[in-house]
Amino acid sequence: MLTNREATLDELRAHALQIRRNVWRALHAAGSGHMGGSLSAADILAALYFHHLRLRPSEPDWADRDRFILSKGHANAALGAVLAQAGFIDDAVLDQFYAYESLFGMHPDIKMAGVEMSTGGLGHGLSIGLGVALGARLQNKGFRTIVMLGDGELQEGSNWEAAMAASHQKAANLTAILDYNKVQQSGHVSEMLTLEPAPDKWRAFGWAVREIDGHDMDQIISALDELPYVEDKPSIIIAHTVKGKGVSFAEDTHLWHNNMVPDEVFEKAMAELGEPA
Amino acid sequence: MSAASTNPEWVAKVQNQSRLSFGLAVTDMAARDDRVVAISADTLDLIGLREMVAAAPERVIEAGIAEQNAMGMASGLATTGMRPYLCGYAPFITARSMEQLRNDVAYANQRVVIGAACSGIVLGVSGGTHHALEDIALMRSLPNMTVMVPADALEAWHLTQATETLDGPSYVRIGGKFDEPAVTAVDASPTIGKATTLRRGTDVTVIACGCMVVEALAAADELASEGIGVRVLNMHTIKPLDRDAVLAAAAETRGIVAAEEHHLTGGLGGAIAELVAEEHPTRMRFVGMPDTFATVGPTRKVREKYGMSAANIAVKCRELMG
Ligand SMILES: Cc1ncc(C[n+]2csc(CCOP(=O)(O)OP(=O)(O)O)c2C)c(N)n1
Repeated sequence: MLTNREATLDELRAHALQIRRNVWRALHAAGSGHMGGSLSAADILAALYFHHLRLRPSEPDWADRDRFILSKGHANAALGAVLAQAGFIDDAVLDQFYAYESLFGMHPDIKMAGVEMSTGGLGHGLSIGLGVALGARLQNKGFRTIVMLGDGELQEGSNWEAAMAASHQKAANLTAILDYNKVQQSGHVSEMLTLEPAPDKWRAFGWAVREIDGHDMDQIISALDELPYVEDKPSIIIAHTVKGKGVSFAEDTHLWHNNMVPDEVFEKAMAELGEPA
Repeated sequence: MSAASTNPEWVAKVQNQSRLSFGLAVTDMAARDDRVVAISADTLDLIGLREMVAAAPERVIEAGIAEQNAMGMASGLATTGMRPYLCGYAPFITARSMEQLRNDVAYANQRVVIGAACSGIVLGVSGGTHHALEDIALMRSLPNMTVMVPADALEAWHLTQATETLDGPSYVRIGGKFDEPAVTAVDASPTIGKATTLRRGTDVTVIACGCMVVEALAAADELASEGIGVRVLNMHTIKPLDRDAVLAAAAETRGIVAAEEHHLTGGLGGAIAELVAEEHPTRMRFVGMPDTFATVGPTRKVREKYGMSAANIAVKCRELMG
């Protein structure tokens, strides 16, 4: 017999696998796209949408819903995948990735059900998330705000303005999740413009920091369940991840940040991922 | 114009390299001028800097995804006598770092050259965050700034090389794959601030820039079969505008159609209208992006949706004939 927790973890892992499969499906339909940063985020997105966030897919504008902002908007294939799996959008929308006049373009569009903000220009989401969190507090609302950031994205100075402001505001209802996959568009972050020591930076900016393996479902849901870590501080989950996770040729390289997806590549990727149990 | 710029080997390479032409030109200049330094904002592959990384790694500064800092650094480098070429995405390197651009580069009049790739709707499927349809207006509104919109890879190469002669800041708007037919002759040597006349008609004039130049030529060909002689000017420099060419078109033809892959507000059409309204009022029509954010989709299809096409240029020309 599986314990309850093990059953939950298995279920979430299955959702994560489905997200990865749907990412490749969308990219294949589009002909190309950002596989690396979509795949590194898949496990966390599964945990958010099928475990943590309080949402009503049939009522996407429900006023008290938790808010999730994908600041690294180029991972929109993964967001679309999870929104389809959770029932916010029709499954068929996934085949409309990049299509003419589609709401499911390369980057999130606030006009699509379940999308909280149009993103794509890097370094905007955390400021927006802080505004959302302050809006909740001012209106005595209990909803929570989570912003997903990329490691390359954190090179934008605006993030650090938001980081400073959030701790000054004691915005404990705001959580950042860093998809720390160590790779950006043209190379490894450590070689381009290092983020290290990342945890120390966030602590120095007044945040409560938790480091996890962003592909270990057990660690992911514990980190989410235990939020906020400190009563009067914003929290950041620094999730160590692998860019392109799950498809060997795409792992840990900038060459698969954004690439073409002809049939052969699609089939190879799907074969590696395998079918959900 | 440098000798290197007409070297056939380079010409062939650049013609095949599309938007990488800017970075290749910078790499070429760096080989003969130690002051040339490239700044990347996680854009090494975007705009053709990999070769320079190999040839002169110490003169490629990786700023990371931090356009504001990159712009400020470029200004600082320029004050020391270096010649910075800042390579970014058109939507981010302009709007994101606009205050640094205005204060540190334009106001302080520093010799920074900005190469802005993926302008207009080149990133069509990326959506509105990645379309750059206001950059000409932003750049044109800055005193001291030279604003160039090359029509193809070879012209981008030449104009980038020509920035060697400038003392102040400049902006080179680079499109995407430049997979439209080339309009620049292999032996051409475009001059900053001088329009290139591509058709000599005397009925109406189309003044176009960037990817709209080939569309203008196609429209001219179509109208020629109707007996309408269209003058086509490639206005690769928006600022300083070639006053003589514009005023001659106003005087010698029945009207001017401006065509650009940019919002109708503040771009090439606006610049022409400002000039002719005061100095030689003439009828005008405008082809460009209306006052809305563009939809997601393949570049060409999105351009067509909003009338940035040969067919619409022809429609506007016929209106001016009537
Ligand atoms: C302001 C801005 N500058 C540049 C870009 C182009 N760009 C898109 S994704 C990307 C790299 C992002 O790296 P990272 O945040 O590490 O994302 P991940 O590895 O998770 O995909 C860049 C430079 C952008 N979208 N926005």
